[in-house]
Order: sequence, then C-alpha cells, then structure tokens
Amino acid sequence: MRERLVIALSAVLLCLVPLVVPNYTLTLIVEALIFGLFAMSLDLMVGYTRLHSFGHAAAYGMGAYSTALILLHFNLPLPIGIILGVAISVVIAIPIAWICTKSTGVSFAMLTLAFAQLGYAMIFRFKDISGGSDGIGGIPRPAGPFGIDFFQSKSGYFYLVVFCLVGSYLLCRAIVTSPFGAVLTGIRENEAKTRALGYNTRAYKMAVVVMAYGFGSLAGALYTPFAGFVAPELFFWLVSGRVLIMVIVGGAGTLIGPILGGICFMLLEQQLSEVTELWPLIFGSIFIAFVMLAPDGIWGLLTKRFRSKQVVPGDGEDGETSRATP
Amino acid sequence: MTDSIKSGSTRRTILKTGVASAAMLASPAILRVATAATLIKIGIPTVITGGYAVLGSQVMRTCKLVQKMTGSKGVLGQPIEFLYKDTQGNPADCVRKTQELVERDNCHLITGVVVSSEARAIMPKLAEWKAFFISHGCGDGALTTKEFFVPNFFRANTSAPMGARALALYLKDSPEKNFIALGSDYAWGRSSVAAFEDQIKAIGKNLTDKIYTPVGNKDFSTYITKIMQSGVKDCYIALQGDEARGFFSQAVQYELPKRVQLLTEIVAQDNIRSLGKDAIGLAGSARYVFTYDIPQNKVFTEAFLAEYKEIPDWTDGEMYQALMILFAAMEKAGSPETDKVVKAMEDLEVTSVKGPVLMRKCDHQGENQGFVVKVAASSKYPEPVAEIVKIYSREQITPDCLSTGYKGR
Amino acid sequence: MNFAGFIVAQTLNAFSQAAILFFIACGLTLIFGIMRIINFAHGGLFMVGAYVGYSTVAYTGSFWLSLLIAPITVAAIGGIFEKVFLSKLYVRQDAGAYLMLTFGLAIILAQAVHLIWGPQPRSVAIPDLLRGVVVILNQPFPIYRLFLIAIGAAAAIALWQFLERTRAGLLIRAVSQNAEMVHALGTDVALVRTGIFMLGCAIAALGGVLSAPLVTAFLGMGSTVIIDAFVIVIIGGMGSFLGSIVGSLLVAFVQVFGAYYFQDMALAIIYLLMLLVLIVRPGGLLGKEQ
Repeated sequence: MRERLVIALSAVLLCLVPLVVPNYTLTLIVEALIFGLFAMSLDLMVGYTRLHSFGHAAAYGMGAYSTALILLHFNLPLPIGIILGVAISVVIAIPIAWICTKSTGVSFAMLTLAFAQLGYAMIFRFKDISGGSDGIGGIPRPAGPFGIDFFQSKSGYFYLVVFCLVGSYLLCRAIVTSPFGAVLTGIRENEAKTRALGYNTRAYKMAVVVMAYGFGSLAGALYTPFAGFVAPELFFWLVSGRVLIMVIVGGAGTLIGPILGGICFMLLEQQLSEVTELWPLIFGSIFIAFVMLAPDGIWGLLTKRFRSKQVVPGDGEDGETSRATP
Repeated sequence: MTDSIKSGSTRRTILKTGVASAAMLASPAILRVATAATLIKIGIPTVITGGYAVLGSQVMRTCKLVQKMTGSKGVLGQPIEFLYKDTQGNPADCVRKTQELVERDNCHLITGVVVSSEARAIMPKLAEWKAFFISHGCGDGALTTKEFFVPNFFRANTSAPMGARALALYLKDSPEKNFIALGSDYAWGRSSVAAFEDQIKAIGKNLTDKIYTPVGNKDFSTYITKIMQSGVKDCYIALQGDEARGFFSQAVQYELPKRVQLLTEIVAQDNIRSLGKDAIGLAGSARYVFTYDIPQNKVFTEAFLAEYKEIPDWTDGEMYQALMILFAAMEKAGSPETDKVVKAMEDLEVTSVKGPVLMRKCDHQGENQGFVVKVAASSKYPEPVAEIVKIYSREQITPDCLSTGYKGR
Repeated sequence: MNFAGFIVAQTLNAFSQAAILFFIACGLTLIFGIMRIINFAHGGLFMVGAYVGYSTVAYTGSFWLSLLIAPITVAAIGGIFEKVFLSKLYVRQDAGAYLMLTFGLAIILAQAVHLIWGPQPRSVAIPDLLRGVVVILNQPFPIYRLFLIAIGAAAAIALWQFLERTRAGLLIRAVSQNAEMVHALGTDVALVRTGIFMLGCAIAALGGVLSAPLVTAFLGMGSTVIIDAFVIVIIGGMGSFLGSIVGSLLVAFVQVFGAYYFQDMALAIIYLLMLLVLIVRPGGLLGKEQ
C-alpha cells in the first residue's frame, strides 16, 4: 500500500517539474526519463531472466529510426507515429529473439551485439533512406490526433514521456509479478529445473526478449521527435554498454532501480561535464566503486537503508524490497 | 552633421545641431549603462576531440585571435565572448551542444561548426531556437539548396561545388582525360565528389571511378592500391582532418605521389605537412590562400603569425572571414538580434581576407572568388606552401541560386 | 590492369591489417579462456601502448626501444588492475561485475590519455631501416607493412610454441580447462591469472606501438579496434588461441576485399559472418561448444 502511495506521490511531483525548472533543465530531464525507460526495458532481460543482452541499442535504434521515417514521410499524428514505430520494432524483434534465444550466456550476449552492429551497418548500407553517417534531421513533432497540439511544446512532451514511463513501469511490474514473471524468475535461478517442470523456457525467453525490445524501442521512439534528429550512433555498441551499466548501477531485477540508474547516469554525466573536464575519470571511478562496494546498485543501497530502519516491525511483507537483493 | 555646421548659419540650424549632438554624446552613455554587463555571445559548437579536432582547434585559435583583435571595443561597443563546446564531430552531439548554448547560455549567434552533417542536423532547429548560424567551413552544396534552405542560415565560405568548379575550370586545359575520385562518405565528401564529377563531365573528361571511404576510416591501404591499379594518372581527393592526414601519410608510404598527380578540393596546410616533401606538386582549389596579397589579408596574417608563429590554414582564414561578415551585419543592423542580423546580412558585401564577398539574398550563399593553387617549395617558410596559379571571379564560381549546378555556364 | 599484382598487393594489405588485429584479439581470447572475462579495457590498453610508444620515440628517438617499454608499462598497469580489482571478483562469478569494472577502466584510460597527451593525434615516424617500398609485380609495397606481417607471424608462432611446448603454457591450458583441479594440485592459480592478464596487455600494447606509424596514436583508437577484436574472438572461438589467428585473417580479408568489391557491404558482411558462426557454432569456429 505504502509503495503505491510513494509511486503516486512521485508521479505527482514529477508533473510539477515543468512549472519550476528552467527551459534547458527540462530538456535534460526529458532525456534522462527516456533513458530511465530504456534501462528499465533491459532489466526485464538482465534482472529477471538473466539474459545479458549486449545489443540493446538495437531496440533503441530501431524505435528511433522507424519513428523518424514514419513522421518524416507520412503526415500522421505524433502518438500514432510513435505507436507505429514501436509496432514495427516489435515485428523485427521477433526473429531476432528467435535466433538469440537459441543460445545462452556469453553467446547470447554476442548474438544480441551482432544484431545491433548489423543494424548499425544497415544504416550505412541503405543511406538513401537512412542518411548514412549524416543521420536524419528535421524530424517533425506533428500535432494531433483531433488537433491536440499539447505535445508540441516541451512541457507537453515532458508529460507524454512521464505518462509512457509510468505506464510502462506499471505494465512491466504487472508482467514480473504475474505467473509469467514467476516462470522468468525460475529461468533465472535454474533454467534446467524450470524446463523439467514442463515449461517451454525457450518460448518464455523469446517472449521476454520481444517485450524488452518493445519497451526499449518505445524509449527510442520517444527520443526521436524530441531531439528532432537520429544518427547511426544510436545503434553503436557503446550505447548498449552504457545502458547495461545503468541497469547494474541502478540495481538489476528491481525495475525501479534501473530507472533511477538511467536518470542518475544521464543527469550526472551532463552536470559533471559542465563542472569539470575530468568527468569521465570520476565517472569510471564511480562504476568501479559500485562494483567493488555496492553490488546491488543504487536501489540496493536505498532499500538496505530503508530495511535496516524497518527491521523490527515484521519483515517479508513487502514483495518488492525482498526482490531487491536476489 | 558636420556638414550642416559648416553650411548652416541660421540660429535655428545651430540650435538643432546642438541638441542633436548633445543627444549623440548622451546616447552612447545611456547605451553603455544599459549594456555594460551584456556581452555579445557567440557560440562555437566545434570539434574539440575526435577525428576533425585539427579543424576545431583552428576554429578556436582564430576566434581567440579575433577576440584579442577586437578587444574591449568589440562590436557595437560591446565586447565579444566566445563559448566553445565539444561536438566531437558528431551530428547528434552537435544538436545537443547547440541546444545547450541557446537554451542555457542564452547565446543565439552560432558559428564554427566543422562538419556538414552537423550543420544539416542543427539547421532545421534554428527557427525554434530563434538562433542565427553562419557557416565558416561547411562545404556540402545541399545546405543552400531548396532541400535544406532555412532563413537563419548563411554560408560565408566556398562550398564543395564552388571548389570543384574552380578546379574543373583549371583542368580544362590539362592534357589528362581520365580522373578517379576518393571522398569521405558523408555529406561534404559526397557533395564534393558529385560536384567534381558534374564539372569534369561538363568539360568533356571522364571520372572512371568513385571511392567513398567510411567516416573515421584509418587504414587507407586498400584504397591506395585501388587508385594505383586503376592506371589513372590524376586522383581527386575530398578528405579532411585525421582522415586526410592518414591518407596522405600512407600515400607517401606507398609512394603514390610519385605515380599519381593528387588533386584536392581543399589544399590545406595541414595536409601539406603530412605529405612533407612529397606535397610539392599537389594541386587543387583552396578555400583560403594565406599568401593572397591584399591589405585585409595582410592585417590578418601578420596578427596571426605574431600570435601563433604558424602559417594560418584555410579554416583560420574562412573563420576570420565569417566573423568579419557577421560583425559587419551586426553593425549594419545595429543589434545582435537574430531577425535583424538576418535582414542586414542579405545582399551585404564585405571585403575580407579572400577579397570581396557578397552574401546573396536568394539562397544565403556567400559569393566567393575561386582560387586554384599548386604546392611549391618555399624559401620564406620552413615547409612547402600553396601558391596561387589562377583566380576565378565569383560570378564564374558561385552556382545558380538554390542549386549546386551551373546551367549554361 | 595488372590482376596478379592487384591480388598480391591486396593480400599483403590484408595480412598487414590482420597482424595488428591479431595482437589485440589474441590477448582478449587468452584472458577470456582463463578468466571468462570479456575485457572491455583491452582497446584502451592498446591505445595506451601506442601513446607510450610515441613518447618513448619522442624522448629516446628509438622506435625499437618503444617496442620494449610500451608492453612493459601496459603490462604493469594491467597487472595492478587485475590484482587490486579483478581478483576480488572471482568468487562472485558475476558477468555484470566484470563488465562494469573493465568498462570503467576503459573510460578512465581514455580520459587519462586525453589528460596526458592532449586531444591531438600523435604521429610516429617509421624507423629509417624500414622506410621505403619494395616493388612487387610492378606494385610498390611499403617495407614497414612487410615488417608488420613478419612480426605478426613471428609473435603468433612464438606464442603458440609457448602455449604448446612449455610448462607454463601447459599450466595455462590446464587452468582454462579446469581451474579448481589445477588449484587442488597445488598450483597458484591466482598467479597464472595475473600472468596471463599481463601477457594479454603486453601483446595489445605491442600492437598499439606497431600500428601508430600507420594510423597515428589517437583518442578513440581503442573503441574502434575493440569491436573488431570482439568479432574476431567470437568468430575464431572464445578462448581459442588458434581461433584468434584464423579470425584475424578472416576479418582482415573481408575488410580489404569487401571494401574493394562491395563498398557498402563490407561492414555488414563482418557482422553477418559473426551471426552465422554464432548460429551454426555458438562456441566459434575453433572454440568449444558451450
């Protein structure tokens, strides 16, 4: 109950943000929220099913490029463009998921990487459509449907992103707490045992990969009309590496942790790069410190503190926190 | 005003002038009070790290020199401040950094963008940001065509089609019939090679092959072998920054300059340095030639040599010219506001380090003269330098309006 | 067109590129074989090698000395990193932790190089002895590239002999097969791990020094080369030394001939090849099935 209250409260607080922060800060926050969503989508694979994807940039890039092309070439309302962009990405994700789930472990990671890099190569191959290394600029943020131009303003777009983030979070949470999610956790802990219990683990894994790609492509689709620009770097392996680190820094297998990880990562990077030229040095050190000292990530740190305060009045009631430390 | 004092003798005129001159004396003071704290901010989203960092460092050194030269007097009586941001030559980062300049630093005058694809990425955003952008070096011909034209963008520099045009006019008399071209696979490289192909065909010669190398390519051995194998004796190169450095130094390792005449769209001092002695004989068009003998250029090159003890490269010259044009437009507009500067710059003519330039209204392209140069050993400087072999008029060089072509010329 | 000359020249180009790729891929695969670590910092270490090599040449004027000093320096950096950080994580057996740690190191290395040497690329001159060209079938070919091919081949043979013929090599292979067993037999597995990590770093640094006269030492040379190295290791077989040789040759040939015949497809071909190998043989061409 309390947890719901916290979520509702933070959602309300988020909605007040555009009223108080300056213009540029709002730009940063929107980007941070989009990355939070992107990191959360990967957590479905990494945290709940132990499928370490090293090519999640593919989801982001597909969502971004398909939305860009739709908005550029068809005169469609913005939300429709985003939904279509996600739909296309999901369709492409199905064969990718089918192939990738043939393997596990490092081999799985490398297959996902191969697909992302192949996407990167394809952008260069089909430069007549994709603009090659020049990327695609001037992507519109059209009004509609029904003439609603609310999303065209920056604060309006902020609300759209908040809506998508909160909605996706609730959806993902419903997924992982459902019987379907229980099977995923079973696969994470012991795949052979789960298979022996009669579950078609391959099908479950395929489903979760497609879902993760779907939510990831939503993040990419949201980024496109906001930035007005897409570039092949969106597919590059460094993006995949960054998002994987956001998940781990945030706390894999908690959904909320990766969201925080993504948001903190983006904001910190922006702020540090303003303050000092040494920011990458500090950044790298933070990763190393997290690995060595706080293996459960930001959310792990927060909840540990929370729980140590709460340790007397009965433990184990709160399903979410006990999941925080797998 | 002084004329009226001389001619006028009635009391009325004297009174009038008196009031007017009092107002004249007072107004700058008022202005100064009102604007003492304000600086004219010019945003430089340029390449500080990455493959085109050489060009970015040239942009910054020239801006610093200009800041020193204008001093506290600045422009419109207000000192100039340059804000530098690192785009890494990456269009996505360029959008982000320019947005930062506009939205956070409240800086609406943009220049110093190095890569044409970066320019393509920020141009559609200029209206939303109410920002003004003048290019000092983006060569992609398409930027001033219908496809990309935006009112808040001007190009002060020679574009790729203009460079190719000058070279083609020069090659008309060459006995060589066949050419091969190699360009970097992005907006400028493709634009440059395409323009060269058009121009060379127009004078009845052939382009036997076009090679595009991926952006950021480092090892050119395959391409060098391909050029040598083609048997063509003249090779047109459209590469910049580290790519150009890499290509030229590897070409020397393969002794390519001994077998093939290298031509380039932009003869850069930096490339000459990579080639060393092998640079002698390199020909091409030049965006800026530091030995061009006019008083405006003398002022610049002397200040530059005194400050940096180095020969200014083409980016330095083009950056300087773009800033001079921007300043002239601001003076004419009497304001650094975007809309006013746009209006003032249309059909503005400025004579700077490359001779007279007309910022034509129809597509915002600056009409520049075309220089064709050849690299020769120098007794004055420790390295070979480019020497002008031919100057073509700006009417011959500048393409048709909103186009990259030269119909009927 | 002189077809034979063309084939020979392009083949030599491919071999010279393969030599550089091998130097980075073989360290990556050895480290993976022993520790199950995908070392993201390997590209960064390669870059540090190139820069240290540049400075050695700048101060001493000797290219040959840089071939010694750079690998030693980088091996020391690698050794310290392994001892202080990586070795603490072996008990945890967490792939994510290795990833973050080596990713963090890669970022730190890139920034350190930026701070020490600045953003401008540094060019290293080819030593006088190796300057000039050899004309093969009327095609000039740089002597330096022939030298690269020779040194690459020599290093490959030496390492192979070391792994196959020496006691240390036997130990390394044993640890990669079954670390616990070797430990139980009284061998210091930790020492083997540190040793192999340092060896991998030293070879990468050597590759960095050797590639500097071709492509200069530049920031970002790490992140461009590491992705090729990954592809090689995956195609050749993760943990397989011979696989890294085969993979390097394959990738270099696809790059060189692909760039010639299908300009647009070269990049895609490499990844398609990698996909195909992973689907057909998930362990790589010469790797063990997982």
